[in-house]
Amino acid sequence: MNNTKSPKVEVRGLHKYFGKNEVLKGIDCDIQTGEVVCVIGPSGSGKSTFLRCINCLEEPTQGTVLVDGNLMDDKAKNIDELREDVGMVFQHFNLFPHLSVMENLTIAPILRKKMQKEEAEKVGMDLLTRVGLADKADAMPNSLSGGQKQRVAIARALAMRPGLMLFDEPTSALDPEMVGEVLDVMRQLAKEGMTMVIVTHEMGFARQVSNRVLFIDQGVIAEAGTPAEVFDNPQNDRTKSFLAKVLNA
Amino acid sequence: MDFFELLKESLPMLMQGLMLTLQLSAVSLFFAMIIGIVASLMGMSKNIVLRGINRVLVAVVRGTPLLVQAFFIYFGITGLLNIRITAFLAGVIALSFNAGGYLSEIFRGGIQAVDPGQREAARSLGLSAAQTTWRIIIPQAIRICIPSVVNQWCITIKDTSIISVIGLAELTNAGDAIISRTYRSFEVWIMVGVLYFIVIWLLTKLARFVEKKVSLDEQH
Repeated sequence: MNNTKSPKVEVRGLHKYFGKNEVLKGIDCDIQTGEVVCVIGPSGSGKSTFLRCINCLEEPTQGTVLVDGNLMDDKAKNIDELREDVGMVFQHFNLFPHLSVMENLTIAPILRKKMQKEEAEKVGMDLLTRVGLADKADAMPNSLSGGQKQRVAIARALAMRPGLMLFDEPTSALDPEMVGEVLDVMRQLAKEGMTMVIVTHEMGFARQVSNRVLFIDQGVIAEAGTPAEVFDNPQNDRTKSFLAKVLNA
Repeated sequence: MDFFELLKESLPMLMQGLMLTLQLSAVSLFFAMIIGIVASLMGMSKNIVLRGINRVLVAVVRGTPLLVQAFFIYFGITGLLNIRITAFLAGVIALSFNAGGYLSEIFRGGIQAVDPGQREAARSLGLSAAQTTWRIIIPQAIRICIPSVVNQWCITIKDTSIISVIGLAELTNAGDAIISRTYRSFEVWIMVGVLYFIVIWLLTKLARFVEKKVSLDEQH
């Protein structure tokens, strides 16, 4: 199962309908361990839905998603366990507002990994130090800035020691001056070899950190390749017109 | 007899009535909270029968006057089953189901008002559905519900006065009894009103305090 050759994520024939609306129209894609994949595309193209299917927040209408060879199925008995290995960072942070920053980081390790509180707090403190927020351990989420919230959210996901991290437009809800601090944390994470799938509108960042770029449009992967291939020499007309719009904005 | 003499003479009986009002309120609200929680969970269940029971409870409670509900329980059901229950028990049953029905809607609204992103974040960390509900959703729903729940408590405390009509000697009934002896309607109803007012006022103050204490809007 954990053969080093087999991909971290295998997506096969993925279709997703919301009612009669077909959002994903057949997606096939592999993501290798250690790879950083950025997903770009116009809004409403299905990027986020694709990402949310990977940890089964959305259930595929058709097709399969395997993580480490395990089928991600909401009805599977071990789905909670499988999700422990897939960290997710949301556009709107989704920190737990009734828990302190430290409690946000420790609740899952304590409940799921049966970690002692002291141990979980030690891990939590290390992570907060890494994202530069060690002094905010006792703060409540609502007292933080957007950039700080998102860095806490990344640390919260990392506290479960996931093998894969999903980012759903992590900087889209931030004020411009806070985008950098979040991207820095993600850049560091990529450097350390984390497997990452990032839905983003930050084209400069995508070009810089990713091994591969997927351009999703109208529910299909319209183009895929290295950042240089996709950004500098796009083959698909839709990719060209999308890039022309976002890069010349 | 001037006002203060009347007050002095009436106060023991009014205080007795107040005690009964407070007991009836406390017991009824205790059961109402349990009924409300259970009924709200039923209302959000995937099981269509459980949802149906919740809908019927809420529809009946909303659609009929409390006075009719109390008469129905105290005279109707007991007559049909040929049993006798105390007016206090009938009052508890009527008020518990009445407030329980309204509270179930308040709880349901509170739970549904929690941002769906909270559930997604918790599940993405590996928390189970139950852990998510109890550790993440309910604590936030309670905060959202507090003002509406306190409002319902105030309404129910005052609604205990309706139970006076089936002969329970609570505060309103006590006031009525004093008036039939003294013919001092104006003063006695003021006294009764002030006593209700003080109870509600204290409860509201307490609720404000708790609300502030658990608020998420500022740093603790």
